[in-house]
Amino acid sequence: MKLLIIGFGFIGKRLAKAIRQKNELFKRLDEDFQIIGVSDSRGYLLDEKGLDLDRLSGIGRLPDYPECFVKGGSSLEMMEKSGADIMVEATPTNIRDGEPGLTFMRRALNLGIDVVTSNKGPLVVAFRSLKNLAESRGCEFRYEGTVAGAIPVFSLVSECLQGDRIAKISGILNGTTNFILSKMYFEGTSFEMALKEAQERGITEKDPSYDVDGIDAACKVVILANALMDRDAKFEDVERVGTRGITSEAVSLAKRSNYAIKLIGTVDKTLEVAPKLVPINHPLCVHGTLNALHLETDLAKELTLVGYGAGEETVSAVLNDIILILKKKISMI
Amino acid sequence: MRLDLTLGLADRPGQLLKALEPIAKNGGNIISIVHEREKTSGVYVPVSLVADFPAYENFRKAREELEKMGVTVMKSEEVIERANVTAVIIGKLDFKKIVDTKIKGLRIVDFEVSAPTSRDACIKLNIEVPLELADEAMKELKRISKEENAILVCSI
Repeated sequence: MKLLIIGFGFIGKRLAKAIRQKNELFKRLDEDFQIIGVSDSRGYLLDEKGLDLDRLSGIGRLPDYPECFVKGGSSLEMMEKSGADIMVEATPTNIRDGEPGLTFMRRALNLGIDVVTSNKGPLVVAFRSLKNLAESRGCEFRYEGTVAGAIPVFSLVSECLQGDRIAKISGILNGTTNFILSKMYFEGTSFEMALKEAQERGITEKDPSYDVDGIDAACKVVILANALMDRDAKFEDVERVGTRGITSEAVSLAKRSNYAIKLIGTVDKTLEVAPKLVPINHPLCVHGTLNALHLETDLAKELTLVGYGAGEETVSAVLNDIILILKKKISMI
Repeated sequence: MRLDLTLGLADRPGQLLKALEPIAKNGGNIISIVHEREKTSGVYVPVSLVADFPAYENFRKAREELEKMGVTVMKSEEVIERANVTAVIIGKLDFKKIVDTKIKGLRIVDFEVSAPTSRDACIKLNIEVPLELADEAMKELKRISKEENAILVCSI
């Protein structure tokens, strides 16, 4: 199988390293497995015989692999020339129109290339149409890394809860806000101080609104609703309150009554992201940058999954999606 | 509707079985029953039971039939299942608006106010409402908070 990586940023680079690290596992599954192309906004690397994994995982930017670098070449051009089997789409998230990831995913699926992604944008904008396109083209479309990073919620539901009906999903879906609220809970600091520390540690961007205003969590609520509860939800359907107004007084008042304030995303009759009181002995009450998902189903009743939701850990989800596709394709040969 | 009843039965064999007939005949579904022989007063043996009736009218008919049989209905109280809602509201808030809310049966069990005069004012409320009105009570709290430009943080 031949793999393409679109986007050579945080996830793309770490994915290349992880594939090199786990290369034996990939070769056991498919001795012809290769990364044949990597692209970003400035150009692409393409070698149909397979890129050198040691070199690829050692470079910071694509021109540092000059003999395969096509300066100014587009990802679409690489995709069409490549003859690839699987594409990992890891461009930056854009929730307004899902671009450029949405175009890349559509083109890949139309070319019969399986798609793996950790990019929320295209799924928030066009989940249903991507899913339908993948089905109509007989392609795999996997997106475990889009929600709660390393927590395998989609695989769990599709593989292990096949007979269950999901009635409600709630969870801590953003590690940055959980870090801030945990700081406020344990150290009594103000929201502003805790946010500053999150920025200094690189947990959030200079403009933290994507995290603290609940935008990121709302995107995940939309994906969960569409993927696990067969809704046709849009970002605008999510009632959203962020964490900016949470004061240390409120956190300490809640704490005295054995509650922690957490930013909770909920998929129920309605879709919501809002700060909530979580009893300290509730399984969702996890701290630091951890994420947690609580599923309520008709048969299994209640299940809680806890893990890291962003950053390097997301590579685990992307890697697993690739391996699942490899296994499926190999079993079909 | 669910009713908590105490019947006074004559202390003779077979009275309990007889007393249950008019309840069942009028659509009463018995949820629990306790024969309180140790509380016997004079000639009556009290029996406590909780039963669901389709409507108050069904209970009224059952009661009439019980009384004709000589069974005294010593107590009949509607059982209202209540939900407990805890919330923290951040921001200056006219507390009277919550007290005056139109939600029937809403009861403020306790509250705690922090920094009431500062811009960081917040209040923790513990409210009890009839179970079927819990969603309505939450909507009302949301409405009041929005109106007061305050942030409502309710329990999951």
